[in-house]
Amino acid sequence: MSGISRAAAIVGAAEANEIGYPEEPKTSLQLHIEAIKNVSDQTGIPISDIEGIFSAGWSSELAEHLGLHPKYIDTTSVGGCSFEMHVHHALAAIHAGIIDIAVVSHGENGWSRRRIGAGGGGNYSGGGAGSPATEMSMSYGLSGAPSNYSHAMVRHNHRFGTTPEDFAHVAVVTREWAGLNPRAVMHSADTHEFGGPITVEAVQNARLISWPLTLLHVCLVTDHGGAVIVARPEIARSLRTNPVWIAGAAENMSHSNIMEMEDFTSTSAFASSKTAYEMAGLGPKDMEMAMIYDSFTVTAAMTAEMLGLAPRGEGYKLWKNGDAAPGGRFPINTNGGGLSFNHSGMYGMQLLVESYRQLSGTAEDGINGIKGKQTNARTCIVNGTGGSLSTTGTLVLVAD
Amino acid sequence: MLPRCRECSRVHWYPRYICPTCHSTDIEWMEGSGKGTLYTYAVQNRAFGGWAEDAPFVTAYIDLAEGDRMVTVLRGVDPNKPEEIEIGCAVTVEFEEASEDIHIPFWRVAGSES
Repeated sequence: MSGISRAAAIVGAAEANEIGYPEEPKTSLQLHIEAIKNVSDQTGIPISDIEGIFSAGWSSELAEHLGLHPKYIDTTSVGGCSFEMHVHHALAAIHAGIIDIAVVSHGENGWSRRRIGAGGGGNYSGGGAGSPATEMSMSYGLSGAPSNYSHAMVRHNHRFGTTPEDFAHVAVVTREWAGLNPRAVMHSADTHEFGGPITVEAVQNARLISWPLTLLHVCLVTDHGGAVIVARPEIARSLRTNPVWIAGAAENMSHSNIMEMEDFTSTSAFASSKTAYEMAGLGPKDMEMAMIYDSFTVTAAMTAEMLGLAPRGEGYKLWKNGDAAPGGRFPINTNGGGLSFNHSGMYGMQLLVESYRQLSGTAEDGINGIKGKQTNARTCIVNGTGGSLSTTGTLVLVAD
Repeated sequence: MLPRCRECSRVHWYPRYICPTCHSTDIEWMEGSGKGTLYTYAVQNRAFGGWAEDAPFVTAYIDLAEGDRMVTVLRGVDPNKPEEIEIGCAVTVEFEEASEDIHIPFWRVAGSES
């Protein structure tokens, strides 16, 4: 355990008033601001006390909107894992004595944007125009995340003898968790015409997006706003909310464009989790639950291997044998995941909000959960994945 | 043609301003063998822009005989029978003229009919 471990805590986590598929289209800024207001109300920390602002590209806009003059401004935007990295950076800034209180904020109208005709979700800007690698992929008809992640599943199948059906269990179990979260888009037939429990057969028989990935191997595209406050220990202990300690934090990347990924079955989560575990003085066996980015079924299962939670090639078994399910030995993605709860394009904030709720004992606070959703976990490994299996941010969180 | 570093002799793809291995900027173009093996593949069941009407088609990552990897649309395979495609199989390059100045490389399973 190093000196930076537990130098700050997440002291609150909140979401925008309406997430998922709102009746009226939302702007990304609105989703940000609602979440920041809600986390301020939850913790009792006035917005004016925020000294550092962390977001995926929005920080100056947010600070202006809030009338803040922050001492620390971070706009790291490397895909869905950016928010785990923001917590890492906030921990470092607090440990260094530069700031005492930081907000990490997310607002993304992945759903509303489509309704107002502004294109799909994922305002990840890695590569982009002018990147030779991006231009090269696009010219061969590859577009969007599913078109690339399918290649990773095929390689995993080849190398380890796994099958698409093995990965379908991730979708089935994650849907079970969504059934315990009334805010999950796929909670039930009342929340979505295709909501409610699903089977492996249903996953496999769904429409093909990019073989072997069917629609139900792929995450949702929704609206989401979320914010967490990170504060130094003296402040964390003085609040009405329960602190969740940042015991370990780290980040890494293997590539930006997937054509530069050396092994399509191995991500930088191996490296980022190793560093995070070392900082925490804890290992995979000390973890009691996990929040793992599930842009696709294959992302979650492969990442579980990288985090040391399962042997290489066997990540899917955590879901298939029921360990990851409600009531199982090792709960994973207890909010219903990007697959069935909410995925706005970047999903790292949803991971943070849920891991805070679980470890602070507020998962069944009446808004976000119903009986059975709160686990007994006291430790949680959180891993965000950004880009095309490109970038990773890992946190080891510990209950007070 | 492939970019090769004159300092460390490593071939890299895509073309860069600097060698990603040894960071020399002394890079030359050399003629490749046109041979490679299939690293992984998938089917694009839907696509956008100019490719939309071609779906489904097979995309693939090719390990070049010279080293490093290239993305392509794979030819000589049936997108409706993707299970029959063999990872590790030999592939060869062929060029399609996009304009007088631009020829786009595509890869084909070695020995398959065009």
